[in-house]
Amino acid sequence: MILKLAWRNIWRSKLRTFTVMGAIIVGVVALVFYMGFMKGFVRTYVSNAIQNELSHLQIHNPAYPEDQEVQYYLSDVASLTQKIKQQPNVVAYTERTLVEAIALSARGSRGLQLRGIVPEQEAVVTKLNEKITQGVYFSESKYKNPVLISERLAEILKLKVKSKLVVQFQTVEGDIKLQTYKIAGLYKTSNKQFDEQNIFVPQSKIALSQTGEPIVHEIAILLKDADKLVETQTVLQNTVSDSSRYLVETYLEVSPDVALYETQMTASSSIVIFIVMIALIFGIINTMLMAVLERTKEFGMLLAVGMKRKQVFLMIITEAIMMALVATPVAMLVGAALLGYLGSVGIQMAALEQVGISEPIYPTIDWLSFLIIGVSVAFTTFFAALYPARKATKLQPVEALNSL
Amino acid sequence: MNIVTVQQAQKTYNPDKIPVHALQGVDLTIEQGEFTALVGPSGSGKTTLLNAIGGLDLLTAGKIIINNQDIATFSDSELIEFRKQNIGFVFQAYNLIPVFTAKENVEFVMLLQGKSEQERDTRVRELLTAVGLADQIDRRPSELSGGQQQRVAVARALASKPQFILADEPTANLDSKSTADLLDIMLELNQKENITFLFSTHDQRVIDRARRVVTLEDGKIISDERVS
Repeated sequence: MILKLAWRNIWRSKLRTFTVMGAIIVGVVALVFYMGFMKGFVRTYVSNAIQNELSHLQIHNPAYPEDQEVQYYLSDVASLTQKIKQQPNVVAYTERTLVEAIALSARGSRGLQLRGIVPEQEAVVTKLNEKITQGVYFSESKYKNPVLISERLAEILKLKVKSKLVVQFQTVEGDIKLQTYKIAGLYKTSNKQFDEQNIFVPQSKIALSQTGEPIVHEIAILLKDADKLVETQTVLQNTVSDSSRYLVETYLEVSPDVALYETQMTASSSIVIFIVMIALIFGIINTMLMAVLERTKEFGMLLAVGMKRKQVFLMIITEAIMMALVATPVAMLVGAALLGYLGSVGIQMAALEQVGISEPIYPTIDWLSFLIIGVSVAFTTFFAALYPARKATKLQPVEALNSL
Repeated sequence: MNIVTVQQAQKTYNPDKIPVHALQGVDLTIEQGEFTALVGPSGSGKTTLLNAIGGLDLLTAGKIIINNQDIATFSDSELIEFRKQNIGFVFQAYNLIPVFTAKENVEFVMLLQGKSEQERDTRVRELLTAVGLADQIDRRPSELSGGQQQRVAVARALASKPQFILADEPTANLDSKSTADLLDIMLELNQKENITFLFSTHDQRVIDRARRVVTLEDGKIISDERVS
């Protein structure tokens, strides 16, 4: 009886019912989209960071992360790389020389990082060769001292392919050295900040030491299975054994901002979900309260003829639950369809270039989060109906019957 | 046999501010099978007395005894249960459930009583036939005239087989023909089935057909006449 009465009651005022259902649908779809977008955003951000710069694991001299001085380089690199190659989960690695430098051109100067790379290795690990937009990669360059700078830096320093670029840096011995390079090509990654701060030269073209031996500050390692990140880190750290000489770190340790990003996104998602739920609660309370107040006389009659207060309470709660049960699946279907579509075409946002993302964001959501949203909204509707339902049960029949 | 006994009933609204004495020491007994009209000008206390007898409103002082039970001793939920089992209500504004059909409205109280489907179905058809609405069984209130709605309300009030029916100005919103039809039905049920009716009214047509007329003024009974 209560089910029948509740079901018919919710269709008494279609506008009001559709308003509540609309609020539920908008709430669910907004949350599904927001969570999907955030997840896609973090995934793209992390994936960009891994592909362009960090890789999955990095090995440094233990002193290097604290104080990125040129003299904190890795010793016995040949033996170290032998051990890296033997790890089954390692796809590729690349050796890097990293030096803080000043680039000088006729139009200005700029502090940046000079990255000495092994072109063939870097092409595999970060696919730098595929990011050349003008000119050529090192393998095709005929210049004696080639350098790759970003399009963005070329614009800032008013340089182009074939221009000369003088770079000033400090050697291991502490001498200041000026080295002239010729721009072989311009690159562009999806990270604007990275592009402005990094130039590449072949490792052999940085004379960092008077002895002329190659200086390697960093070995970046790409893994087959990123889920075995920590496992591989541990194995590698144990293999290289001497922790006073080598420090193996994951990308999350190398760049805590990436980890922070994930944490912040989760926290901000929770806050947004909370705000949407609160807005939804007030919306539903308002509408349900209107529905109760409009039917005061009727509740008076129901109580007069013998309907128990708990039955009146149950009837109003049932009305809210029924609306949620109709609206939530619709909302989840709409949310899934929207996310499915956007997940395949992507969302291009120019504003995200500032945070290092220039490619489209592909929203995605896991089933658990998707279900949690649906269930949370349904529960929110239930909680929002408690106050109006309680108010109805407090009515006195004679006063309710005499209400307008 | 006395069904209802009202002893020194007093009801004062706003006792702390500007007191309004709606009932001032009313004594009244209603016997099984009566067809009684409570009459009097507006504000005389008719509806207050009716509400108090129906357990919808509490007295300030005095007692209302129904079936030898003082209803003031009941808790809120006991009072609801008592009303459900013993009293049928007919309201001035019909107060049917708008989303239910005539049949569903009539069987509603029986559903609350937990009666079986077969029992409900038999009783509903019997009552709707008695009030002349056998052919309107599946219509909702919005599809019925005022007179028809009030007849459904009478059928609903009778459905639970109550001790007595309380009707607050049942004909106030009805035209002459509907009033006459409703009175015919109520009198017939009263005479054939010995159902007790107590109603408040201003309507002379109703007063003319009542078998007992209790007149109230300023919260007091000023006359109590039985018509032979």
